[in-house]
Amino acid sequence: MESKKILPIFSSYKTNPVFYDEIFKNDKEIRDTYGELFKLFNEYKVDDFKLLNEKAKLSFLNQGITFQVYDKTTVEKVFPFDLFPKIITADEWDHIESGALQRSKALNLFLYDVYHKKQIIKDGIVPIELISSSENYLDQMNGLEPPGGIYNHISGTDVIKHSDGEYYVLEDNIRCPSGVSYVVSNRVALKRAMFGVFNNYPTCPVANYSENLLEIMQSVKPAGVDIPTCVVITPGIYNSAYYEHSFLAKSMGIELVEGRDLFIEKDFVYMKTIYGPVKIDVIYRRIDDAFIDPLEFNPDSVLGVPGLFAAYKKGNVTLVNAPGTGVADDKAIYTYMPQIIKYYLNEEPILNNVHTYHCSRPKELAYVLDNIDKLVVKPVDESGGYGISIGNKLTKEEIEKVKAVIKENPRKYIAQPIMALSTHATFIDEKQCFEPRHVDLRTFTLLGKDKEFVLKGGLTRVALKEGNLIVNSSQGGGSKDTWVLKR
Amino acid sequence: MQYHYKIKYVTHNTYENPVNNALWQFLIEPKNNDSQFLETSIFNDSYNTLVNKSINGYGFNTFKVTPKHQITDIIFEAEFSLIKNNIEIQSQDSKTYKKDIEELNSDPFKIEYHSFLKDTVLTTLPSDKKNIFLFDDKKTTFENLKALNKWVFIFLYYTIGATNIRTELKDLIDYNKGVAKDFTHLFCAVARQHNIPTRYVSGFLNQDQSYFGNSEIHSWVECYIPNIGWVGFDPTNNMLADFNHIKIAHGKDYNDCASLKGIIFTVGKNTTKYTVKVTCQEYIQDKLASLNHISAYKKAL
Repeated sequence: MESKKILPIFSSYKTNPVFYDEIFKNDKEIRDTYGELFKLFNEYKVDDFKLLNEKAKLSFLNQGITFQVYDKTTVEKVFPFDLFPKIITADEWDHIESGALQRSKALNLFLYDVYHKKQIIKDGIVPIELISSSENYLDQMNGLEPPGGIYNHISGTDVIKHSDGEYYVLEDNIRCPSGVSYVVSNRVALKRAMFGVFNNYPTCPVANYSENLLEIMQSVKPAGVDIPTCVVITPGIYNSAYYEHSFLAKSMGIELVEGRDLFIEKDFVYMKTIYGPVKIDVIYRRIDDAFIDPLEFNPDSVLGVPGLFAAYKKGNVTLVNAPGTGVADDKAIYTYMPQIIKYYLNEEPILNNVHTYHCSRPKELAYVLDNIDKLVVKPVDESGGYGISIGNKLTKEEIEKVKAVIKENPRKYIAQPIMALSTHATFIDEKQCFEPRHVDLRTFTLLGKDKEFVLKGGLTRVALKEGNLIVNSSQGGGSKDTWVLKR
Repeated sequence: MQYHYKIKYVTHNTYENPVNNALWQFLIEPKNNDSQFLETSIFNDSYNTLVNKSINGYGFNTFKVTPKHQITDIIFEAEFSLIKNNIEIQSQDSKTYKKDIEELNSDPFKIEYHSFLKDTVLTTLPSDKKNIFLFDDKKTTFENLKALNKWVFIFLYYTIGATNIRTELKDLIDYNKGVAKDFTHLFCAVARQHNIPTRYVSGFLNQDQSYFGNSEIHSWVECYIPNIGWVGFDPTNNMLADFNHIKIAHGKDYNDCASLKGIIFTVGKNTTKYTVKVTCQEYIQDKLASLNHISAYKKAL
């Protein structure tokens, strides 16, 4: 068949049998799902494709879709975008969607429990140390009833495809998961660049995320409010995800505010406008817990709103996500996810967990120290790929350093076997051809009062450096559009 | 025996440059509990701003003030009157520390009181000083805590100005000088080290006796002792918290109980002066008894 012929831009594509390749079954055969797409790519010469790629990148820059990396300098970067999309079939997606939803619901019940009766700890499923030693557990949240009983309105679940072709969850992000604006703008960019491609692929839309998010926010309005006024609060233009904050506010049709735009009177929250104060009922906050209220948390914070927590505690405003959710996206809690799902939902976990060693347990610590070259060591309370060390990439000296760091504070670290992230065809600028690169997928799940939604699609993140397994944008990753096919 | 208290709290804040936007939160209102009953509570400032009565993260009452004017100095005044009962502690119910350890280390106990068992930045002992004070297995938990109370009292010298609100224990132990909050932090750290749930308590102290720390908002601790419950210890004065101690709030450390927190948008220096006046009179509860007393007096005349 013509479509199965390998294109020139794919000529140097070498699959590695250790990893699952999502495009090629082996060096010659292409997986059925990607057949049509291949036919289309066949029409492009290398130069055409290069031009297309440049234009897509430029469109991101022109729209201001950039992010910042926390470093000595502050440089605005375009999130590298790859034109070759990841395609997920309807059956495969059902599996991911039900799994992500199951995890979010279980985590929500877990959060409710740890801030109320703590039954799961009393029953001996999860040790008390995970909570008492967690910096993200907020005593102030004890006994508080969030509207609708929802803590993690927005969850980002990171999944990967292992060499066995099965999906595994890498982590759950339930503080302020970001990346959804890229999902939507990647789709827009791809539509512009590759006109007509969706004629062959009936793909689920992703632009409906914002309207669903707004409905979720409205569903958890405080008691006694008919039509809630919602806002998005951002730390400001210097935040790495500022584009996303403005995108979400714009696409939901609500105001984007900073802390100084809001004030509290009699424990109600008001927004300053040119027409006078407007009462605010639901706040999608993209500010970390520690900074939302200088009176209650970090007193040096100038990002938050003084008195906001008292208003929240009195039930006059809803915060999305609730403060204190960080206790459950601690990577140490992750390892208990199968038990947590079973405990609250009485179901078997749909998505697999990666086996994890806790350095807090002496036996497992010994194993980790002996086998550090075969493991990925992660700090339990960091995000954004900071502080991760991958065993087989370390020199001897570095291994000793990592060992010393773990020994100093074992509770702070977990280790996992090095997962074989699947590879996906990615256009490499320098070589002007496609090469396999490791990818993962962040899905977005929304929970509201009697409402739930999983975005059909997600952010496929790709590690652009050859052989690199860390896909975070702050560590030099890029992204792809993700197509979920309709039945 | 009941005591009738009148408390007056005055703060005078001055700013070098005008303040356009500010918010002050006062955590100074005595709370109602078994041993104290708040009769009246008045709060005012020199601008007659509308005061918002609110709560803090742990549910204790606060006053919040946001002035609508530009200000360079402002005076806040609060007046409370309350009735305080004497506190009696059933110390005979305390078992030896050795026997209590089992309960203190049990999971249900740790789950119930985990908030007051963990170290905070201000109540962490330096790693080489973890054994700075050790409990005696044979004595009761209550007696051990009394011994700790005495030890802290002797170890630290009450010195105003030697520490600030961010002083950590490693510095405190080196200089062994501090005020009530430092005595309290040291006590909290050692008691928690021995798995005793301990909370930081802020409040007023009777000024009729010459106690340390009675000219300011005072602080002491409350420890949860199995079979007895929460018991207050005042390490600054080496005494148990009794009718002289009027509780405002509790928390994990000073940060949870700071009497005044403010967010002020200005540049330049500012000063805060505050005074506390606590007066106490014995209160005869039985009105009949007081009438008899008067009639007996008349007869004698």
